[in-house]
Amino acid sequence: MSERRVFMKNGLIAMVGVASLAVASGKEVSASTRKWGMIIDLNRCCGCQSCVIACKAQNKTVAGSFNTRVISLEDGSYPNSRIAFTPVQCNQCENPPCVPACPLSATFKLPNGIVVTDWNKCEGLGTCVTACPYEARFLDKRYKGTEGGKVDKCDFCLHRLEQGLLPACVEACDANARLFGDLNAPTGEFAEYLKKTELTSRKAGLGIKTGVRYLPNRLSKQGGAL
Amino acid sequence: MKEELFNLVSTGSSLTRRGFLKLTAVVSAVMAFGVDTAKAAVKWLDPRRVQKSAATQLDQGVKVVHSVCLGCNARCGVRAVVADGRLVKHAGNPYHPYNHRFASIPYDTPVRETLVLPSPVCGKSQDAPNYIYNPYRLIKPLKRSGPRGSGKFEPIEWEQLIREIADGGNLFAHLGEKRVVPGIKELNSDAPILPDAPELGSVRNGFVFIGGRDQNARKEFSDRFVKEALGSVNRIGHADICGIGFRMGNWAFTERKELEVKADPVNAEYILVFGANIYEAGQPGVNTYGATLAKRYSDGKVKFTIVDPRATNASTHAENWVPIKPGQDGAFAMGMIRWIIENGRHNKSYLAASHPKAAAALGHASYSNATHLVIIDPGHKNYRKFLRVADLDPKAPEEEGKKYMVLAPDDRPVPFDTAGEAVLDADRTVMADGGRAIKVATSFYLMREGVMEHTVAQYAALAGVEAAQIARTAEEFTAHGTKAAVTQYHGAGNYLSGTYASYPVAMLNAMIGSVDRKGGYLKSGGGAAKWNEGLYDLKGFASKKKSQGAAISREKFAYEKTTEFKKNGYPSRRPWFPFSSGGLCVEAMSGIDQQYPYPCKILFTYFFNPVYSIPGGARYIETLKDSDKVPLHVSIDITVNESNLYADYIVPDVTYAEGHYGFLTPHAPAAKFTGIRTPTIEPLTGKTADGRPFCEETFLIDLARAAGLPGFGDQAIKDKNGGLHSLNTAEDYYLRAIANVATGAKVPEAAPAEVEFVEKNYPVARFKGILPVGEWKQVCYVLARGGVFNTPYEEVFDGEKHKFGLKRVVLYNEDLATTKNSITGEYFSGTLKYTPPRTPKGRDIEAIDREYPFSPVTYKMNLHSQSRTTSHAWSMEVFPTNYVEVNEKDAQQLKLRNKDKVRLVSRNNPKGIVGQVKVTRLIRPGCVGVSHHYGHTQMGASALPIRRAAEVFLGGKRVANAKGLKGDARLGAGLPFNAISRLDEDFANTPLVEVCGGIPDFSSTRVKIQKI
Repeated sequence: MSERRVFMKNGLIAMVGVASLAVASGKEVSASTRKWGMIIDLNRCCGCQSCVIACKAQNKTVAGSFNTRVISLEDGSYPNSRIAFTPVQCNQCENPPCVPACPLSATFKLPNGIVVTDWNKCEGLGTCVTACPYEARFLDKRYKGTEGGKVDKCDFCLHRLEQGLLPACVEACDANARLFGDLNAPTGEFAEYLKKTELTSRKAGLGIKTGVRYLPNRLSKQGGAL
Repeated sequence: MKEELFNLVSTGSSLTRRGFLKLTAVVSAVMAFGVDTAKAAVKWLDPRRVQKSAATQLDQGVKVVHSVCLGCNARCGVRAVVADGRLVKHAGNPYHPYNHRFASIPYDTPVRETLVLPSPVCGKSQDAPNYIYNPYRLIKPLKRSGPRGSGKFEPIEWEQLIREIADGGNLFAHLGEKRVVPGIKELNSDAPILPDAPELGSVRNGFVFIGGRDQNARKEFSDRFVKEALGSVNRIGHADICGIGFRMGNWAFTERKELEVKADPVNAEYILVFGANIYEAGQPGVNTYGATLAKRYSDGKVKFTIVDPRATNASTHAENWVPIKPGQDGAFAMGMIRWIIENGRHNKSYLAASHPKAAAALGHASYSNATHLVIIDPGHKNYRKFLRVADLDPKAPEEEGKKYMVLAPDDRPVPFDTAGEAVLDADRTVMADGGRAIKVATSFYLMREGVMEHTVAQYAALAGVEAAQIARTAEEFTAHGTKAAVTQYHGAGNYLSGTYASYPVAMLNAMIGSVDRKGGYLKSGGGAAKWNEGLYDLKGFASKKKSQGAAISREKFAYEKTTEFKKNGYPSRRPWFPFSSGGLCVEAMSGIDQQYPYPCKILFTYFFNPVYSIPGGARYIETLKDSDKVPLHVSIDITVNESNLYADYIVPDVTYAEGHYGFLTPHAPAAKFTGIRTPTIEPLTGKTADGRPFCEETFLIDLARAAGLPGFGDQAIKDKNGGLHSLNTAEDYYLRAIANVATGAKVPEAAPAEVEFVEKNYPVARFKGILPVGEWKQVCYVLARGGVFNTPYEEVFDGEKHKFGLKRVVLYNEDLATTKNSITGEYFSGTLKYTPPRTPKGRDIEAIDREYPFSPVTYKMNLHSQSRTTSHAWSMEVFPTNYVEVNEKDAQQLKLRNKDKVRLVSRNNPKGIVGQVKVTRLIRPGCVGVSHHYGHTQMGASALPIRRAAEVFLGGKRVANAKGLKGDARLGAGLPFNAISRLDEDFANTPLVEVCGGIPDFSSTRVKIQKI
C-alpha cells in the first residue's frame, strides 16, 4: 500500500539525515482534499509547556511572542480548587476574521485549511492582529514592514508537514493531548475523537468554526472554551 | 505491546494505536504536500523561510544523534538534530521508554525506519540549545586575580592550572597572600589526618570533592581520582538536597537496599502522591510519569490524590487535593494506617506470610517481617534486635542460629521459614534453653503500638486536615486490592522529621501488600548490562588505594567508633549519621566550616552551587571566603555561579551535548534499560596543546599524571586478557565502557548501514580506533539507538510479580533500632513513631519563631531544573520570573493583590528577599509558595571584573567589554527562597538538618510577608 511505501521511503532516505522528502513524496498523490485539523484533549494536557518550547525551538518566533501558549486558570474554590490548562494557538478558522481584515490581502487560507501570511505582501499594519478574536497573531518586529514589523502566527508547521513530519507541538506532546489529522479523511484516534459530542471550540459563543477543537477536562469547569 | 505497536506502525493495518495515528498523520502529510506547496512557495513568502526555522532531521546535510537528555536528572532519550555542527533541535528517542510512556518501539527496529517517527521530549530538553550555547559559558580556565569573592579572575594556560594545583605553593603571592597553598601531592600521604584520632583516616581525607549534577560513570570517573588514586573518602554527592527525606523512608523500609520506589504508573488503579510534583518535575519526569498518568486518566483507568501544601499542576487531573500542613506527611500517613488497622482493611494474609515462599504462594514477589519477633527486654543482650534461633538455642548450628523467629498459630516460637502462616499481632514471653524468659513482640505489634500513640483526630490536627479526609483517603487507598501505591518525592520528608515522616508513607504500601506487584510499589528494574566490567576492567587498577576513615559529612559512620566519643561521650559536637543513605553535601559544607571532625585542605566542587542551592546556603559564603577553612578551592563548572565566585580556580567543563555523561539506568519504577549519553556536537571549550577539550576528565587525567597518582595515563586500563591500555582521554574510558555494555547485553554487530550512520553522525566515531573492529560494530548498534532498550515494560513482570523487586520490606528495622542519636545518646525508633519537626537539640521552630506566621513551600517548575536553567532563554520568555504565592484568604487579610511587591523576612535574614505577589487558591493558607530557579546573582546576572573576558566566555564580545563580563539583569529576575532559610543556632548557625538521615530542611523556616 502506498502509505507503507512512503514510510519506508522516508526511512531509507532519512538514513543518514540527508533527505529531501518533498522531492521524494511529490509523486505520490495530490493534496487537493486534505484539510488539517487539531484536537486538544484537556484530559491529557499536563500543562508541561513542551509544545510551547518545541514551537520556539522549531519556529524561532520573536522573543516574548508565541505561536502557541498554554493558558492556566484556577478552577473551583479552595480547597476544592484545581488548575486548568488550555493550550491555545491560531484556530485555522473556516472563515477567518483575519483574512478580510487585511487591506493588502497578505493573509489567506490554503486549500488544506491552514491560514498563512505572505511576507512578500505583509507590511505589519496589524489589522489582522486586532481582528483575530483569539489573540493568535502578533508582530515580529525583527523584520521590516512599513508599519513596525511583519505579522506571525501558527501555521501548523507547514514546513514540517511538507517533509512528512508532524507539527513541532504535536510531536512534543508527551501525553498525546494534541491529536493531528485530516478533517476530511480522519483516521485512527483522530477519527474517534472527531465523533465525540463534547468537542468544542474556543469562545464557542462567537460561532466561529475552527480547525482546532477541544475536549474539555471532565473534572474542571473552565478550560477549552476560553 | 511494543511489538504490536511497531507492527501497526510499519504495516498501517490498524486504526487504534497512538503510534500508528501519528504515523498516519505523517504519511498523510507527505502525501498532501509536495507538489502543491512547492508550487505555492513560488507564489507567497513563508515567514519560516525568513525566520530560518530550525533544521529537521530530514533536511539536507544535517546530522542526527541519539543520546540522553540532562535538562534534569530524569534522563529521557533525545534525538539531536545538528546542522552545520550546531545543535538546533531536540526531540525524543523512539527507542527510549521514557519518551513513549514506557512503550517504545522494538529494540531491533532498523534505525532508518525510526527517523521519521515522532518522539516527544519535555520543554527543558527542547531548550537545550540555549543551555549549550549559553554565552556565559566558560571556555578557558580561570585563576583568581583578587580577593575571594571579588569576582576578579584571569584566564590561565592549562599547563599552569595543572602544575599549580598538583604542586601547591605561594600561588597567590602576587596578590599579597603570603600563605602556602597545599597541592594534591601534599595530600598523597598515609599519615593520620588527626594524630589523636586515627579512626578518621589519613591526610588524604583532607581532599574533599563535592558533586552537584553527578551522573553515572562521570561520578565513578571522579571516584577513580578521589577515592582510588588519591584515597580520600570524601567524594560527597548531593542526594540530601535532591531529596534524601523521602529516600530515608524507603531506606528504612527496605533495610538500606533501595532509595527510590514508586507507584507503577502503567498499571495502578489508584496512586497516592505525597510531595511529588509529578506534572512538573520528578524522575521519571513529566514527559514520562506525568504523561503516562495523564493519558490513563483520560482513559478513565487511574485516579490519584495529591497530598501536598500546594495543589501542583497535577491537580488538573487529580481526584482530590489534600492541602496538608508542611512537614506533616508522616502524621497523615500514620492516621491512615491507624484507620486501616482499626477498620481491618490491611492485607492480613500478605503481612502474615513470614517468609518468601509463603508470600510467593499467595502471589507476592515480596514478603514483610511483620510477624518476626523482636526482643523488647531491655536487660537482654540482644535488646531491640530480632529474636533468632540462637537466642533460644545457643547450640544451634551457625546458619540455623541466625534465623528469625515467629510464632506459629499455636503460639510456639518457630524459625520464620518453617511457618505456613505466623501470628501477626502479639507480644509474648518465650523461654530460652536454660529457662530464661525473654519478652518479645512481633514487628507488626510494635508498629501498631507506635501508630496508636495518637488518634486519627490527633493525626488530622497535626496534619492540618479534617479527620474525615484521612478516613476517605484510607478507604480509597484500600479499595483497589494491590493495584494501588504511593508515589512520594522531595516534599514528603525533606525536613526536620523526615525519616519518620517518609517511613510511614512507604509503609502504606505494605499495608495493602502492593510491594513488588504490578500496579503497586516498585523499584527500578536496573540496567541492561554493567558498564564498568566485562571486556575492560574500569574499576580496578594497579596501586589502587582503599579510602578509609570518616567522611567530613559524618555519613555512614558511627560516632561511637570515634576517639571523641570515648573521651566526651554524648553529645557529639555535630551530629553523625551512621544510618543515613549518604550524599550529605550540606553537612559536608558545615563540616568544612567547623573543621569537624577534621579540617579540609583542598575542596573541589563539581557542578555544585551550595550558596544558591542549599537552604540557608548563603551561610557558606564565609566558609568559602576563609582560606583557613578552605585553603584551596577548585571548581569544575560551565559558568561562574554564586559559589565558585569564591573559588581560587575554575576549570571549564563541557555540557552533556559535548561530553560523555555516562550510563543511565532507570529510576523507579520497574523498567530495565541502559541509556547512553554520547556527545551530539564537538566540545565548545578550549583545547590542550595535544587537542583534548578542557573538561573534567582531561583535568583529572592531567592532574593525576602531574601529581604522580596511579590509575590514569599509560597502561591504566586492563582488559580481560590482561592487556593494558592508556587512559589519556575521556574516550579511552567511556568508549571501553560502552563496549562493556554492548557485549554484556549481547547486542548484535550493527549492520553496515548503521555503522555508517554512527560514523557519519556521531562525534565519538572519531575515536573508533580505540576499539577492535568487532567491538566497534557492537558499540555502533547501541549508539545508533541511544542505549540498550531490549526489555519491554511488560517483561519486567512475571504475572503480577515484579521480577527485579525489593523481595523484602520491614515493619521493624533492626539496624535503625540499634542506632543511637549522637546528640542525645538515645536509640532511634526501629518502627513507625510520630516525630514532630524538631532541631537536633530539640527546638520547635514553629513555637520559637511565632512572630513569623508563614511556612514556605518551594518547588520546581516544569520548564526549569533546580539552579542552572536561567540560560534557557525560551523558558524564560514563558516564565520571566517567579512569584510569592499566597492563598487568597491570606492575601485578603494582608491586603495584597497580584503583582504587589513584598518582602519575605525570616529570623536569619531580616533584610529579606523581595518579590511579586501572586494570589492563588492552589496553596494552603498560612503557606507561601516560591519556586526555585530564580533570584540568581551570577551565571550572567551580574557584571564581573574578569580580565580578557571576551576570550573566557563563549559569547565573546557579546557578553564582554573592557571592564570584564557584562551582566544581564533578566538572568537575576525573581527571588531565591534559600536565601532566607532558617539556620541552627545550636550548631554555629549552619543550615538545619535532621538528626537521623542528615536531611536538609526545606519546610521549617518561618517567614513574615511585608508589603512594600
